[in-house]
Amino acid sequence: MLQIFKLIIIALIGLGLGLRATYYAVERGQDEGFGDGLIFGSVKAGPWTGWPKSGSRDADPYARALFARNGETPLGLTEGLSFLARADSGGKTINPFCDYVVKGSIPAARFWTLSALSPEGRPLATISERHGFTSSELLRDTTGGFEIRVSASAQPGNWLEIPSDQHFVLMLRLYDTALSANPFSVTASAMPAIVREGCQ
Amino acid sequence: MKRRDHRLDDGGYFFLPIFAGCLIVAGLVHIATIFLLPRLAEKDAFARISAIAEPHKVVLLPDGAGGPFDDPALAQGVCRFDLAQGPLRLRATLAPDPLMLFSFHARHGQIFYSMTDRSATRGKLDVLLLTREQLNVVEASDPEDELPQDLRIIAPTLEGFLLFRALAEFPGEMGDAKARIQSLTCGLDRDQSPEQARR
Repeated sequence: MLQIFKLIIIALIGLGLGLRATYYAVERGQDEGFGDGLIFGSVKAGPWTGWPKSGSRDADPYARALFARNGETPLGLTEGLSFLARADSGGKTINPFCDYVVKGSIPAARFWTLSALSPEGRPLATISERHGFTSSELLRDTTGGFEIRVSASAQPGNWLEIPSDQHFVLMLRLYDTALSANPFSVTASAMPAIVREGCQ
Repeated sequence: MKRRDHRLDDGGYFFLPIFAGCLIVAGLVHIATIFLLPRLAEKDAFARISAIAEPHKVVLLPDGAGGPFDDPALAQGVCRFDLAQGPLRLRATLAPDPLMLFSFHARHGQIFYSMTDRSATRGKLDVLLLTREQLNVVEASDPEDELPQDLRIIAPTLEGFLLFRALAEFPGEMGDAKARIQSLTCGLDRDQSPEQARR
């Protein structure tokens, strides 16, 4: 009798724990960013994290489960690479009450885009209706360098508007890049920095 | 009281197997559910696209119909396929400069092929998507002294979709990007339709 009781306890607790782990990996992870971390084969470069294998036949089970739940269609590996930043270059979580400057180098790519999205990956409601910049439309300095100012209030130059009271993440996409052949070779110095300026 | 003391004294032999058992069951349940999720999920990309796009034609995704973490600078279109009705043919005439992305998605989310407009030869793209059995049929009727002119891709599942993305380099160019997607032709391959094959 005690043995059966033990088995039932084991089955129930095990089932609960297992489902809980899956829920955390897939459901909660979407909102809070754990899910990104659980997908294997991530590449980190400065504040940026990419999951190049998600867009290939080698996508791991966590990536597939996450995409099945949120309906995401990642970039195919030969189309380009996506990098997500939930924190700045100093390691602090991106704060909607602060201004940020994205500047520095960028890996060679035919086109690239930088966009601000909600933490769940949805477009942000802004007055300027600008959600990001493409490499073609960017204003550059005389040396070809760039600075994108991420702020809730109007800024000179490349201003990426964000709502003043909503959390957001930054997404960098490199299209038609030679890096696709060896995505894990990317280094922090090859990627733009996200520098925190003043806060309200 | 005495009995409980005896259990505590047994070096954990009472609780240890229960604890270990729970962990093993939890691990199995976790792995099983992670692997099953893509097959059971009702809100995956295929379901989202099936709701708005008929199979075997190019359909532009309306604003807001995309998935999370989409690039706002890209126009998106899809072509759903069901290879049970025959192989799928994708043809495109591409301008040399604008960025076009092509990805091939299996029923449960796996991307089994992807390419950009750079893969086109002299601005033309001709892709035949089929099952291995259909490929055997097609190859059997290929002329022996010529190389096939089309790119042939085997799909891992009968159903799935092709996702086309076009970059609008400037905000005002979104209309052009959508037009580039609509200029693609995607549909059942007329040469390889079941009626043709039966003859």
